[in-house]
Amino acid sequence: MADGPAPAEADGFTGPDGVPVGAASAVRPFLLTQGRVAGHASGTAIPVEAQIVATTAGIEALDRLTLERHAIVAACREPQSVAEIAARLRLHLNVVRVLAQDLRAEGQLSVHVPNPGAARDASVLRKIIDGLRAIPDSRGVLRDSD
Amino acid sequence: MTPTDPAARGTAVRTAVVRPPLPVKLVVAGGFGVGKTTTVGSISEIEPLTTEAAITEVAAGVDDLSHTPRKTTTTVAMDFGCITIDPTLKLYLFGTPGQDRFGFMWDDLVEGAIGALVIVDTRRLDDCYAAVDYFEDKEIPFAVAVNAFDGEVEHTLDEVRWALDVSVEVPVTVFDARERGSVRDALLVVMELALARTEA
Repeated sequence: MADGPAPAEADGFTGPDGVPVGAASAVRPFLLTQGRVAGHASGTAIPVEAQIVATTAGIEALDRLTLERHAIVAACREPQSVAEIAARLRLHLNVVRVLAQDLRAEGQLSVHVPNPGAARDASVLRKIIDGLRAIPDSRGVLRDSD
Repeated sequence: MTPTDPAARGTAVRTAVVRPPLPVKLVVAGGFGVGKTTTVGSISEIEPLTTEAAITEVAAGVDDLSHTPRKTTTTVAMDFGCITIDPTLKLYLFGTPGQDRFGFMWDDLVEGAIGALVIVDTRRLDDCYAAVDYFEDKEIPFAVAVNAFDGEVEHTLDEVRWALDVSVEVPVTVFDARERGSVRDALLVVMELALARTEA
């Protein structure tokens, strides 16, 4: 299995216009990521719920980005989870993870990984409980978000 | 939002345009066709989305003389939805890919989850064993929710608890995956359990 890049490095896509990463959705995930896989030994994969947002630099660089990289940055004008991006762009989850790491290294995306303690933070859990309790039984009634 | 200072632009290159919410997640698990996607869809504010994810299958060495577990990676479809709690907090609901068999590892998906709802169809109780074993092993708070298809449940909750052999701390409840209020209440059971653990 190919070694992945060190997390802090922005190599792999150092061509001036980025690297052509395949033209069709039928392309194998490995081609889109140049053979790299997410979650390799040197670092854990970005969690599926991690939020990805385009940076101002990313928005400014949109014209220069191609294909999947362009699509990811364009989709992230509003914060989205890794899973949402993968679903909306019909890309394999792990392809989004690898490309998002590249784009983060290049400063075009910021990746907000949840604090691992959040799931055991009582104040966070209470807020969710209150939020769920506010959901009405029926689909027809919209939640009143003041 | 603070107004953009042109002088500070150079240092603001890596700043996100919009501040994202804190994402947290619950996992919805259970056998194939048990109602996981229906459950997510009943309460999600978006239509459930599907993405391809990789999971690891550990093959128990049944016909393998070496008895060494073989691991294979399989691409499966994963459904999910979300609920915005407030602008700073967003709850994701991830359905584990529908597998009836033992030996699937969802670590990649489950890492950092608040807890899990294991959905059970009482006509096919054994389909959920893999999920129950998994969350027990990972010490992730979970509740068992019997999906009452057409309002019918073939076994009492005591029978389900006995059959699944879950500990007394694991809540076992009945719900209807098609009813938003019912899904909400089932998720609240998991949330209350997770909260109780933080206070234990």
